[in-house]
Amino acid sequence: MKPMTTLLVLVFSSVIALSAQARDKRDYHEALYEEGCKSCHDQGLKNYPSDESCLQCHDMGELAEQTKREGHEAKQNPHDSMHYGQEAPCMECHGEHTKKQAICMDCHNFNYPNFTK
Amino acid sequence: MQTRRSFLKFGAGAAAVGALAPLTASAKSSDIKWDESHEVVIVGSGFAGLAAAVEAGKLGAKDIVVFEKLGVYGGNSTLNAGQACFADTDLQRKLGIKDSAELMVKDQLASGRGYASEELLRHSAELGPYIYQLTKDCGCVYRDHIINTGGTSATRSHQVVERSGAGFIRPMLKTARSYGVKTKTRHKFEGLITAADGSVLGIKVRKGYHTEHEDSGKLINVKAERGVLIATGGFAANVAFRQALDPTLGHEVGHTNARGATGDGLIAMLAEGAMPIHLSFIQSGPWASPDEGGFGYGAGFSLYNFPHSIAIDRNTGMRFMNETADRKHRADLEIQRRDKDGNPHPALLIAPKHEAQKDPSMENVLKYNVAWEFDSVEAIAKHFDLPLKALKQQIEDWNGYVKAGHDPQFGKRMDMSTGIYMTAPFIVQRLWPKVHYCQGGIQINTKAEVIAAKNGKPIPNLYAAGEVSGGVHGVSRLGGCSTPDCMAFGVTAARSMMKA
Repeated sequence: MKPMTTLLVLVFSSVIALSAQARDKRDYHEALYEEGCKSCHDQGLKNYPSDESCLQCHDMGELAEQTKREGHEAKQNPHDSMHYGQEAPCMECHGEHTKKQAICMDCHNFNYPNFTK
Repeated sequence: MQTRRSFLKFGAGAAAVGALAPLTASAKSSDIKWDESHEVVIVGSGFAGLAAAVEAGKLGAKDIVVFEKLGVYGGNSTLNAGQACFADTDLQRKLGIKDSAELMVKDQLASGRGYASEELLRHSAELGPYIYQLTKDCGCVYRDHIINTGGTSATRSHQVVERSGAGFIRPMLKTARSYGVKTKTRHKFEGLITAADGSVLGIKVRKGYHTEHEDSGKLINVKAERGVLIATGGFAANVAFRQALDPTLGHEVGHTNARGATGDGLIAMLAEGAMPIHLSFIQSGPWASPDEGGFGYGAGFSLYNFPHSIAIDRNTGMRFMNETADRKHRADLEIQRRDKDGNPHPALLIAPKHEAQKDPSMENVLKYNVAWEFDSVEAIAKHFDLPLKALKQQIEDWNGYVKAGHDPQFGKRMDMSTGIYMTAPFIVQRLWPKVHYCQGGIQINTKAEVIAAKNGKPIPNLYAAGEVSGGVHGVSRLGGCSTPDCMAFGVTAARSMMKA
């Protein structure tokens, strides 16, 4: 039993180490990782960051401008939509460590070509 | 979820001693550690919650809070076609439509199949003109076109220009905030805090909640000075719950609702002894498309086109229903469309393009692959593998009904399709019902007070409005009749709390 337990401990600890190291992350956020987890996790490491956290660097108005759509598609701007205006929090659609899809896609077959899951 | 008993045991600081000793002492407000206190506490930011917030603001409440579980406002109320049935409005008169609150109640009673509450329906219908004006005062803008929804004897479904509930929610949210209403997302209602006599003192809320992460955030106690309004919607997104109540509504059937429609508010009120009513009456939308998620664009397209279009069974190439019958009638028939192995074989809604193109919904369904254009009957039959001869005959027969103004096949009201013949090119959408609305819930009265199951009396300081309440519509709710119901009882709850 004992060697088995040791093996298990080894396996588990390597899994834990891996999960911390190999966690999904966005390359363009590298600088924030260097500053430490708390640069985003403003409510403690075990909790989700606040909805204001991303907005320390990103500006919803600017994002809305960047993803602006014209004419018939104007209200499909994910950062300024018909349903939620500019109030949809980043984490409803974007994940840093997990893959997500835009909340719009719950109901619509929209095409957001620049969206990375 | 926390019952009063478990709260007394563990929540009020009695801890282990409480678990051993018999509970004789009543919970008093002073025994509880309150994290927040508000004059009016509203749970849910849909039609009912926001109408209550606006009305309470108008009536002079100084401290109103609206808690929303999701990260976004509006819940299910922002995901629909933005319709509201009102009777005898200026717009109806302008369009030459004769209608009355009495007639609206009569139509709803028929659809309720003997289970609807005439008293509650009348209360809601009579508040209709007030609600219509309230929404306009909030900045909601109605189209000049009134929609005909199934099961009605007069065309009365007023629609906002966005053709989405967002056209109500966004202006109402803005108006509520102009009255100083505090609106908070990611605040999940976890249970009522009640005194020993059953009256509601406040609620438990999970602050910082993220959907599907049940232990995210932290629990806080919120005191409600005037009362609590539960306006949390239905449970269409809770498959286990809905399937227990209606075995036909398993995973095979999607739903049109927001992610949050899991019945939390309902379950918490049941735990406190509220009267359950009509829980098994769950409605599926007969206008939904299996080619997109949720409510999507397909619903808007079929709502506009049902009156002058035909729904075709793919095995027979023929109609199988009155396309403007009430929702239950149509959804029940649609879900019976099966291939030879019993698998879903969604029916086809065939609309003439010359009429369909008059509504903006056509461009949406074509663009996002929810419907397709065909330039001949042959092309439809070939693409969907339909018996061509039968389909051709059906279309010829249908055009005869349009001409005669009479549908001997299914008795459809034909005054909505006068002169609108079924000619190529055609727009075709598939139809498969999705769970849309829960007629059942907890019982309320005309003051929006929640009724206790044990004695049929109101539970002090507890109010409910909208889909979470039950018994209003009976077996089947008519289209466009939830919005005015939600708002009417939201307004009523605010008046009750403000003693107006």
